[in-house]
Amino acid sequence: MTLETLREFGANVDEGLARCMNNEAFYIKMVNMGIGDKRFESLKDTLENNDLDEAFEMAHALKGVVGNLALDPIYGPMNELTELLRSKTPGDYMGLYNQMKTQRDRLLAMAD
Amino acid sequence: MDSLGEKKLDSKKGEYKRIVLVVDDEDVNRQMLGAILESDYEVIYAEDGQDAINQIKAHRETLSLVLLDLLMPELDGYEVLKWMKEGKTINRIPVIVLTSEKSAEVKSLQMGAADFLAKPYDLPEVILARVRHSIELSEDANIIKATENDHLTGLYTREFFFQYGKIFDHHHPELAMDAIVLNFNRFHLINELYGRAFGDTVLVAIADGIRGILEESSGIACRYDADTFYLYTIHMSDYDRLLRKILKVLSGVLKAPEMRIRLGIYPDIYRAASLEERFDRALQACNSLRNKYSGSFAVYDMDMHEREVYSARLLEDFEQALEEKQFKVLYQPKYNITGDRPRLCSAEALISWQHPKFGRVRPDAFIPLFEENGLIQKLDRYVWREAAEQMRKWRINHDIIIPISVNVSRVDIYDPEMPEFLDKIVRENEVNPRDYLLEITESAYTDNSRQIVQVVKDLREAGFRVEMDDFGSGYSSLNMLTALPIDALKLDMAFIKDISVDNKEMRMVELVLEIADFLQVPVVAEGVEVQEQYELLKKAGCDIIQGYYFSRPIPPEEFGRLIIKEKKGE
Repeated sequence: MTLETLREFGANVDEGLARCMNNEAFYIKMVNMGIGDKRFESLKDTLENNDLDEAFEMAHALKGVVGNLALDPIYGPMNELTELLRSKTPGDYMGLYNQMKTQRDRLLAMAD
Repeated sequence: MDSLGEKKLDSKKGEYKRIVLVVDDEDVNRQMLGAILESDYEVIYAEDGQDAINQIKAHRETLSLVLLDLLMPELDGYEVLKWMKEGKTINRIPVIVLTSEKSAEVKSLQMGAADFLAKPYDLPEVILARVRHSIELSEDANIIKATENDHLTGLYTREFFFQYGKIFDHHHPELAMDAIVLNFNRFHLINELYGRAFGDTVLVAIADGIRGILEESSGIACRYDADTFYLYTIHMSDYDRLLRKILKVLSGVLKAPEMRIRLGIYPDIYRAASLEERFDRALQACNSLRNKYSGSFAVYDMDMHEREVYSARLLEDFEQALEEKQFKVLYQPKYNITGDRPRLCSAEALISWQHPKFGRVRPDAFIPLFEENGLIQKLDRYVWREAAEQMRKWRINHDIIIPISVNVSRVDIYDPEMPEFLDKIVRENEVNPRDYLLEITESAYTDNSRQIVQVVKDLREAGFRVEMDDFGSGYSSLNMLTALPIDALKLDMAFIKDISVDNKEMRMVELVLEIADFLQVPVVAEGVEVQEQYELLKKAGCDIIQGYYFSRPIPPEEFGRLIIKEKKGE
């Protein structure tokens, strides 16, 4: 994973890097930690089980992390999903999850 | 816990790094915030609410700020805020909440949070500035809290009291306010009798009483100094009730005769004076109750104000009056009545002030004033010297020695140079110190008997004679009287005023005469005004009479004529 990969992915690298005091290695380390989170997978199960409270907590936590890391392509659908879950508004949870998951998997693939 | 040991020294700034606690359940968020903060702060972390509470407890004394995520599993950020608020921890340690929601911002601010930070995080500069700002605000507030209240009573300190009073006045110029000074008369006696800890209990009780009053009638109060309290309240009509309320609280710790509370009140009716001036006047009203021994209050009035201005003017004019010889020494003759006819035997030198603006100023208007301000010593010396010179003049002009008595003030007794001064003036005027009588008021003896007995002994050894003045007004014990080195007793005027055949006052006079007889000293009765008093005193065996019955105090020229008459045996 490099800054170039992240730029190519669509992350707001300048913003993410600034939050990491412009420490490139630290930023990359945080991104790796963030996107390696197992909850990206387990969120799917909770949505499928219709456990909306648990799903909201997970989505909210992951949203916070990807937001801070400025991973905008993941943050977009994750934010939308979180807000739907917060208000428990019926909606296309799985669709949003899949959008988000696709972006996250794309980044993992780019980093390999 | 070694609190200093917990802080790390920042060698760059030469000061300790403050400790900031970051609470977030997400490792990434914690680490990112830590990276931002660690250049300026010592950062510690908590992964959840319970962990946060444990960390706050462990670093209670040294923690400068908490950065708190709100949504966390188990115990969330709101619970932490609630816990901090309940334990009042939040009053000292500010909390900045981390949130992405607008509604959460409002709720957390209502719960006592100092500020909030949005998620995703703002730029590090913004975060650092807001953290710094919150810490500064909190530290300033903590310093203010530590200095705005009196440690013992919890009331304001005087500086903050006046500051808040002025702010109040600024916002409420329409409200009538009272400036009230509350003082515990002779509080040192409580400390001496029962110990300082009990004295503190009494002060706290007074403060509790004051708080009770302030709950009813809005206002503020401070402990001005040791045993004086200032209250600034909305104008009230019943000051007696105010006093009773304080006394009621005090009755829980003190017996009634010991509750020597006095209140001086300046009601805000003149509106023109500054806050300090209003309290100066309340204090003056309070001081007017100096000799009251039980609870009492005095309301400042314009008479008091005029008296104050008058007193200030007299004090200011003192030096000039001395230079311009506005002070005149008058002589009131004393007659020996033991023989078949009264014989002029001596005189008392008395001071009189002919003021260029006020005319004749009564001695009772300026002598207590000068006693308070220490000027009396200078005035006494002026009188002493004049009297000695006068004795010399009479001796030269009339070839007669008229002994003169002069008044010695309390403060003179403590002046180590007094005997030397007296010795000097009698020698300069070739006066025999035996003919120079010193009148010392009885109450001076009871103030500090050991010191005064020594001074009087020294003066008598130098040849002077000493009269105990105002005898009967003080509280001399019979035991002390026998030990006293005195040459005469001067009866207090108050005794003479009401004497008549076989009444109580007359019997008191007879009793004093017996005491004098026992001590083998003569008795001088002053304030004798009428024939009846003269007759009664003569019959009872009084030796010497002074008063308007014979003569008012008169200028030396006039006294000279009395001498001539006396010499002719008229």
